[in-house]
Amino acid sequence: MSDPLPATAREVSRVTCAVHHRVTASVVDCLLALGAHTFLEQTGRCVRQRIRPRPWGWPGNSLRFDDAPMDILRVTVPREAAPRVMDALAQAADLSSPGQGSAYVQDLTEYGHLEPPTIAVPDDAPADARPLLRDLTLITAIQSMAGGGDEIARSALRLGAGVPLISLGAGTGIRDRMGLLRVTVPAEKEIVQLAVPSHDARGILRLLVEDGRMDRPGGGFVYLTPVRSGIIDARMRLGPQEHAASIEQIIAAVDDLKAGTAWRRRFAGPDDAATDITLRFLRRQREITFICEEGRSDAVVQAAMAAGAGGATVSAVRRLRAGDAEGGIAARERGVLVVPAAVADAVTAAILNAAAETDGSTCRVQTLEAPLAFAHQRARGGGERASVGNGR
Amino acid sequence: MPAPARIRIPLPAATTMVGRYAWSKVGTQVRSVAFILIYLVGFKVLILRAPPAQAARLALGIAMVVIGLAFFLEGLLIGLMPLGKRVGVQLPGRGGLGLITGFGLLLGFGTTLAEPAMAALRATGRNVSAWETPLLFMLLDRYPQALVVAIGLGVGVAVALGMIRFARGLSLKPFIYVTIPLLLAVSAWCARDPNLAAVLGLAWDAGAVTTGAVTVPLVLALGIGVSRASGSREEAGGGFGIIMLASAYPVLGVLVLALLRAPTAPPPTDPATFFSPTHRETALRVLGSEARLVQHAFRQGGPDARRAVFADEATYRNAVTSLTTPSERLRLLGDVSLSEWLTQSASPQERAWLALPENPATSAPRDPGAPVLRILSEEAGLAVRAVIPLTLLLLAVLLGLLRSRPRHTDEVVLGVGMAVLGMALLTSGIRMGLAPLGDEVGRPLPRVFRSTPREEGRVVLQPFGPDQILTSFGPGGERQDFFYLHDRRGRPTPVPFRPERYDAEAGRYEHIIERPPMFGPDMSLLGIGLVLLFAFGLGYGSTLAEPALSALGLTVEEITVGTVRKTAVVRAVSVGVGIGLVLGVLRILYDLPMIWMLMPPYLLLLPLTHWSEEDFAGIAWDSGGVTTGSITVPLVLSMGLGIRSEVAVADGFGLLAMASVYPILTVLLFGLFIRGRQRRAMRLLREGDDDE
Repeated sequence: MSDPLPATAREVSRVTCAVHHRVTASVVDCLLALGAHTFLEQTGRCVRQRIRPRPWGWPGNSLRFDDAPMDILRVTVPREAAPRVMDALAQAADLSSPGQGSAYVQDLTEYGHLEPPTIAVPDDAPADARPLLRDLTLITAIQSMAGGGDEIARSALRLGAGVPLISLGAGTGIRDRMGLLRVTVPAEKEIVQLAVPSHDARGILRLLVEDGRMDRPGGGFVYLTPVRSGIIDARMRLGPQEHAASIEQIIAAVDDLKAGTAWRRRFAGPDDAATDITLRFLRRQREITFICEEGRSDAVVQAAMAAGAGGATVSAVRRLRAGDAEGGIAARERGVLVVPAAVADAVTAAILNAAAETDGSTCRVQTLEAPLAFAHQRARGGGERASVGNGR
Repeated sequence: MPAPARIRIPLPAATTMVGRYAWSKVGTQVRSVAFILIYLVGFKVLILRAPPAQAARLALGIAMVVIGLAFFLEGLLIGLMPLGKRVGVQLPGRGGLGLITGFGLLLGFGTTLAEPAMAALRATGRNVSAWETPLLFMLLDRYPQALVVAIGLGVGVAVALGMIRFARGLSLKPFIYVTIPLLLAVSAWCARDPNLAAVLGLAWDAGAVTTGAVTVPLVLALGIGVSRASGSREEAGGGFGIIMLASAYPVLGVLVLALLRAPTAPPPTDPATFFSPTHRETALRVLGSEARLVQHAFRQGGPDARRAVFADEATYRNAVTSLTTPSERLRLLGDVSLSEWLTQSASPQERAWLALPENPATSAPRDPGAPVLRILSEEAGLAVRAVIPLTLLLLAVLLGLLRSRPRHTDEVVLGVGMAVLGMALLTSGIRMGLAPLGDEVGRPLPRVFRSTPREEGRVVLQPFGPDQILTSFGPGGERQDFFYLHDRRGRPTPVPFRPERYDAEAGRYEHIIERPPMFGPDMSLLGIGLVLLFAFGLGYGSTLAEPALSALGLTVEEITVGTVRKTAVVRAVSVGVGIGLVLGVLRILYDLPMIWMLMPPYLLLLPLTHWSEEDFAGIAWDSGGVTTGSITVPLVLSMGLGIRSEVAVADGFGLLAMASVYPILTVLLFGLFIRGRQRRAMRLLREGDDDE
């Protein structure tokens, strides 16, 4: 598209921090103290397995799933400030002990009028901070609530892939083009996010697709995005401990010693998933995230679809701002689209143009490569497939 | 910008989609209604030993309830709630605090006027007597407009306060700590005066009733919108809390109105004094006109009241005999039928005066009920009244003041249409199916705990001669006369013959149909236990089906991203309603003072609220207002009426108020339980040790 983009592009980092609802306040204070002026908050939950002995001395253990209320905070910072922010977050939320939450940094391009905050980077980097894991990949799965629900999260736990973080969104796209018949298709989506070691990401992706039965109409959509560094919550199980250290603690210790997760590789061969011929994966996609005022996402998504996107998943988020006295509402919508890299620029431009028509100043767009994605293929490649036919 | 082309979906595929969608929605509602239905029918068949009457009509009514619920809830979810949320999100940005306040006042007042349950509340007042509770009678009968305004103002102030609270990010807890003790203090003060004490039940029920099936989801959605738009993170508690205020302030409104009116009301007296000519001036102040005084004496009063109201014996007798002419009957009895009056109120003397030429139709053929179409059209009118004005108000604010449009106009139109249709079907279905069924079970309920037989009706057997009388002998040789009468199944059954009821000259015998106590004279404790069990199940089951609670549950689940499940909230609330009804029935049975039933739970709630988290405090206090909606209210009221007819209690108000308090308690406890579980999980995370 030849139109000049109505916003400047910046190379920045997005820090995502998911912590238990009860420690959110201290994390927010920490971010404010760092000088982050605008960040987004979304409610989520994470699921863990809970093992307990069966009642009345029955042999064996019972296993069920336990929910914990989480808050997801996202803040855009200059790239060089990201390690400092991560250190501060790790201290504020005590992320180094398993089970407290997780945080990760993704490098991306942001379009918008809002300057990223200036965050003081001290010369003497804190030495006590736990080294961040470097080779991570984020798996994002979007699934219809009416169909799968917790399925993806549970298979992630069964596979020992990590603690899944779940948030809600509404699918828009094909659904909106069906006329009034759209009300018969549930729009609610569950967004499951899972940070895994990069070398296993493709293998886990394939297992999730198979185990979560995503290879069928309405099965959902899943993609990978790179993570620069992060601290992952590895505590997948709660229950009686039989050894001096839990398996999660041992894994964390070895990660520290080996300074990476490569030692835990579980899938042999290079690029396991991509060579699989039974499942057709999509390559060279881009994840486009837009953030706009509540109620404006429809126009934005329609513009994006006109430019070649398949659809979007829109979540309700809130922006938290340091001194909130200046007007404007806090309700924001955060939409995520995955489009083929070829049309990514056109879609970005369309979104920015559409946003400029309605509210120019508050809209932000972030783009990030998504090397691999999977959806049951029927619609045009890329984009989130609306689950026509209420598949279950 | 080229709009993406609309997808054409072929008709068969579209039909399948709509079919599957409808099936899943109806299926959900079948499950939610199943409990109360099986419970009522089971109670009727197993305990009261009578099959439901008019089964076809009942079945039709129940089918309408199910389909109506499905339509109504879906209409709320795709039409009204998104509209409310939209307005809520836009309000704080565009309008200042003044606009929010004004809008809140208007909306609160409007919802009260539109609320169909207000009519139910006034219907409860039909049995209120002017001499025992003059102030209550005056409020319900003489100043119903003032009553509605008082309640409406209460709701308006509550909604306005609630929205200001969200816009400013204030905690709900201080509001609770101020409002509830204030309410209790005013109530306690009122309880000292017999006249004001009688109004307490009405006041607390008014609070429960105002928050109906349309109001709750709408106000909830608005609150969530406003709270999302304001950036405060913790204190607003996610948008809950307005409904609690909207249940509390109307109570205050009614009590204030009662306090203002109290000086004009005479103190309670007995009927003979009240209707006596010397007391006439005061009585007229209560009732308004001479004609209404006489009618009240006939409808509510006993023979002594009627004797007192007329100047001399002859006028009294003339008035009674004039009951046979239809115009006089209408004037004196209103909509009470003559046979009803004869069995319930008339003394033997009065019956003798009437000396009816024809057989007094005893157990009058059951009223077959209004035709389906008429009920439907009446209820459709009410549904339109409940939904449309509020929607228009919201739309006017959105389009006019906020200069914005609904997100999907077509969905809002469809949703509002579905809500109206659903509500019309639901309320007609309740009138035809659920309420009569509840009535059939609720009214004979006292039989279960009564220890003496009760007259049910009279039959005049004519011609009746000595040759119909048979004789049998007991084991001790004592002689017993009897004759045969067909029972309900058409089998001849021996019935003892009582000479005093036999009029040999006219050849007629007046047979009194009696119902024996169900468990014999000594077993009434078991009977009371059964009634309490019934009350619990009725509260639990009808709350499960309540659409407003469904909407609340869905909202809670969405806001907490599934950490608190809808079914868990609904069950916690339903158990609370069950407990509340049990205690409410106990109050009616043992005539306990209202204030002693309300004070302890509320005092218990304050510390619990203090310990609870902000969001659960909001959810819990809101669920108190949600519980009493379109399904619970008629069922609970018919049970209350049934029990009250047996026990001499001035008014049956208060049941609904009890049904509102205890859910708060159960939900708060449930919240504390969840928090405990989460804390344990947190501790497990830290220590890796299971302490259970």
